Amino acid sequence: MINRRAFMKSGALALFAAGFGGVPGFVARAADNRKIWTPYKKNKVLVCIFQRGAMDGLMAVSPYADPNLKLLRPSLFMSPAKTEGSMTDLDGRFALHPSLNSLHPFFAEGRMAIVHGVGSPNNTRSHFDAQDYMESGTPFNKGTASGWLNRAVGLTGHDATPFRAVSLTSALPRSFYGDNEALAINNLQDFAIQMRGTPVATHAVAQSFEQLYDQTSSEILNKAGKESFDAMKMLNVNNIRNYQPAQGVMYPASPLGNALKQIAILIKMDVGMEVAFAESGGWDTHYNQGTAIGALANNLRDFSNSIAAFWQDLAAYQDEVTLMTMTEFGRTAYQNGTGGTDHGRASCLFVLGNDVAGGKVYNNIKSLAKADLEDGRDLPVSIDFRSVFSAVANGHLKINDDKTLFPEWGGKELNLMKA
Amino acid sequence: MNLKRMAKTFAVGAVMTVLSAFAQTSHSSEPRIKMPYKKTGLDSRQAAAHLLSRFSFGATPGQVDEVVSMGLDKWLKQQLNADLPDDEVNKRLEGYNTLDLDNSTIVNTYLNPGQLIRVLIMQHLIDKDSLQSAGRKEYQDKLHTLMVQAGYKPMQDLQRELINQKIIRAAYGQNQLKEVLTDFWFNHFNVSLTKNQCEQYIQTYERDAIRPNVLGNFETMLVATAKHPAMLEYLDNASSVSNNNELIRKQENNVQQLRSKLQLRKMNNNDTTGEAGMRLMEQVMNAQKRQGLNENYAREIMELHTLGVDGGYTQKDVTEVARALTGWAPAPLYNNGIAKKIMDIAGEERMKKQGFVHEGDFLFRANRHDQGEKTILGRRFPANGGYQEGMEVLHMLATHPSTAKFIATKLANRFVCDTPATALVNRMADAFLQTNGNIKAVLITMVNSPEFWDQKALREKVKSPFELAISAIRATNADIQQPFQIYAWCMKMGQRFYFYQAPTGFPDKAGYWINTGSLLNRMNFGLAFATEKIPGVKLNLAALNKKNNNFTLAYAAGNNAMISQVTGILIGSPEFQRK
Repeated sequence: MINRRAFMKSGALALFAAGFGGVPGFVARAADNRKIWTPYKKNKVLVCIFQRGAMDGLMAVSPYADPNLKLLRPSLFMSPAKTEGSMTDLDGRFALHPSLNSLHPFFAEGRMAIVHGVGSPNNTRSHFDAQDYMESGTPFNKGTASGWLNRAVGLTGHDATPFRAVSLTSALPRSFYGDNEALAINNLQDFAIQMRGTPVATHAVAQSFEQLYDQTSSEILNKAGKESFDAMKMLNVNNIRNYQPAQGVMYPASPLGNALKQIAILIKMDVGMEVAFAESGGWDTHYNQGTAIGALANNLRDFSNSIAAFWQDLAAYQDEVTLMTMTEFGRTAYQNGTGGTDHGRASCLFVLGNDVAGGKVYNNIKSLAKADLEDGRDLPVSIDFRSVFSAVANGHLKINDDKTLFPEWGGKELNLMKA
Repeated sequence: MNLKRMAKTFAVGAVMTVLSAFAQTSHSSEPRIKMPYKKTGLDSRQAAAHLLSRFSFGATPGQVDEVVSMGLDKWLKQQLNADLPDDEVNKRLEGYNTLDLDNSTIVNTYLNPGQLIRVLIMQHLIDKDSLQSAGRKEYQDKLHTLMVQAGYKPMQDLQRELINQKIIRAAYGQNQLKEVLTDFWFNHFNVSLTKNQCEQYIQTYERDAIRPNVLGNFETMLVATAKHPAMLEYLDNASSVSNNNELIRKQENNVQQLRSKLQLRKMNNNDTTGEAGMRLMEQVMNAQKRQGLNENYAREIMELHTLGVDGGYTQKDVTEVARALTGWAPAPLYNNGIAKKIMDIAGEERMKKQGFVHEGDFLFRANRHDQGEKTILGRRFPANGGYQEGMEVLHMLATHPSTAKFIATKLANRFVCDTPATALVNRMADAFLQTNGNIKAVLITMVNSPEFWDQKALREKVKSPFELAISAIRATNADIQQPFQIYAWCMKMGQRFYFYQAPTGFPDKAGYWINTGSLLNRMNFGLAFATEKIPGVKLNLAALNKKNNNFTLAYAAGNNAMISQVTGILIGSPEFQRK
């Protein structure tokens, strides 16, 4: 059995910032419980990216071989060609937008799966409602207090740590609402006592706070205080400020790029994170969405390059991480009068990880003929988002409780994770 | 320096604060105020501090002593009457342009982006093609310029003033209990700026549906929220539609007749006049048919606003309430909108005859109402109940025993502790039922109960980030010139108020607010606030110290920088997170 002293002497301590005067309480507890030296070393992490605004799945991953597409979208139609800057063919039926090029190697290597025609059974075309339903995981009930990712961390059976569920956003996303501790932080550098003055003075102030929280009679403040200071020392903002990604990796200087970079830092620090969340905006392309260049192309490039940088940066940690994207709905199959697309139904999503059965576009799409469209205008939802989310959460985080994860739902998981 | 002692001194000092003496007037439906704090071993200073910690956003320097010398009963009475002049608030709100506007003005001045573009295209100020080439930033700038030229205003102004006024009223308002309850009831009947369809209405929602009723009658408030465009849009009742009524059947008939007539004319004379008009009518009718029943509001009004999730209703009840409330919608307010034009053409008289009810911004649309019979919570509502049927449903919900219990629990949760005693809740629920939902009576019943004064309840609640920020302003008599900066900190600490997405509102329990990230931000808030690093925050800590003695220890610590630093530590300290 490993006691705290042995743990401190172990190599695990090297993981933590210099100057840290002891092992964080929650790490020590976890080490005691699990009788291992580095309690979080092989933790599985699920990273989710919410594309708010509804990504045009028909342009991101285009069913170009369907002759209806060109008729529906005369000026937005794209297809693969030999020329530079055109789409990349995936399987003779679907092609990847040129701005998503940096994701193509992952698809080709079989670690990235694409799911198309995915969405919610609730046919609302309101961003607010559709996001709400997707994040609560209950498409027909707004009153669900918790989010599906919060329920997911509650089902992993691991110890609670301050970093178990981390959202790189300023406010807690709906997916994270709930009883399990979850952290929303826009910038890990805020994870410090901040004041004007010398480092010595700041240190003194931090110590004063630590002392006060140590002495308080309020149990919850006492506990959270301890964990805050443990976590603060563990992260050590200097390390974050000076973080160097893996050789040759360049994160885009965008909100999504920054968020994923910080998620990579947390993964590499082995702080016990199990679910991470980031978001990206600007997908609501009603006007002038463009084709190979334009608003959507720019957004897709940022999305793709951020994910590619993240994945390369993870290097030795890739086995532990699965990344899944999501968007509240898709866009109309036909283009509108202002060079864009309006709110539709199904879109597509990406799942990346070494335990993903990738290299395939999972779909049940029939055709884009008017008779096959929902309400004569939209790509219908032929795969329930819950069948993807539950497959990924169950397959990667090893939880198996769909009743808790997605109450109301009795469907079958999509078989896209390796057994 | 002994920080623990300092923290204690400060906490006690800050918790003590104000009041004034007023004659107690009696209202027959409300119990007499008889606060049994002596029975639980509290002296009047402790009791005043406790009362202030729960019924205000924090004591100002010297306020506890003021309340003691004025008398706790009198202070409470004054707060329940909530009619103290608010000169300081009024002064600080001078220059705010949106706070008195009605919904119609707001809707026609603060356009959403879609409306704006349509208007600009209509007025030939932009054409679609000119936008094709513009970059995103350029495009936004151009839109903004054109918007101002056309006399419209940005939605951000509306949001900013809404947020700022909440901070100013809470920090500087004299009627503190009213501000605390406005915060409470808004959260109970939550609507959210995250939903575009309702964002224009949230300022009037708080002002007209919540604020005037927070110390009044529960049913009045329930009805006010049910009819307000913000709630109708937020929980989708505005788009809940039934075709089961005479008006629709008649309309369908008319269209059919018209169709035959036009066909005949076309066959005989090859005359196609009137066909375009008919197609429009058909379109309107089909649009309505595509919509259907939406149960969101019906579910939440029972689960979250009245009965509570275990209040004894079924899915069938949800559907039946949704049917009863079909047709409850905002009146069309947007002058350029087709709905407004149709309503103007129809005329009030004709609409009234058809069973429409138009009250201000609310419109009961008889042509969307389900005329059939319903059974709700075991009670039969005969067919053709119209608008009145919905009002009866609301009355039934507002006065239901489950509602009394649910509301009593929630109030006790906010004002006493996270897990209130059953006896207390039952007593408050009885008061609710006996007075048909008189909120004052319920609050008085609460403070007349020993549980409110239980020593274990003292400083038991953890402040929300908003409460923390406002109590820091009050405890230091700070001058806040840029309230939005305080909002930015509330967000950092985990409370982006007015933006809580779910209809549940923010959870009212310590565990929700306190986690590692938020706690460090609370400490950093204390430091940034006390050292005036937050733009627009002005403090005079030395003067505060001389006047009140509360900061003697901080002052003894030495120079001004030190005083600020120590004050910052105190604001970030665990004791100051509690109330």
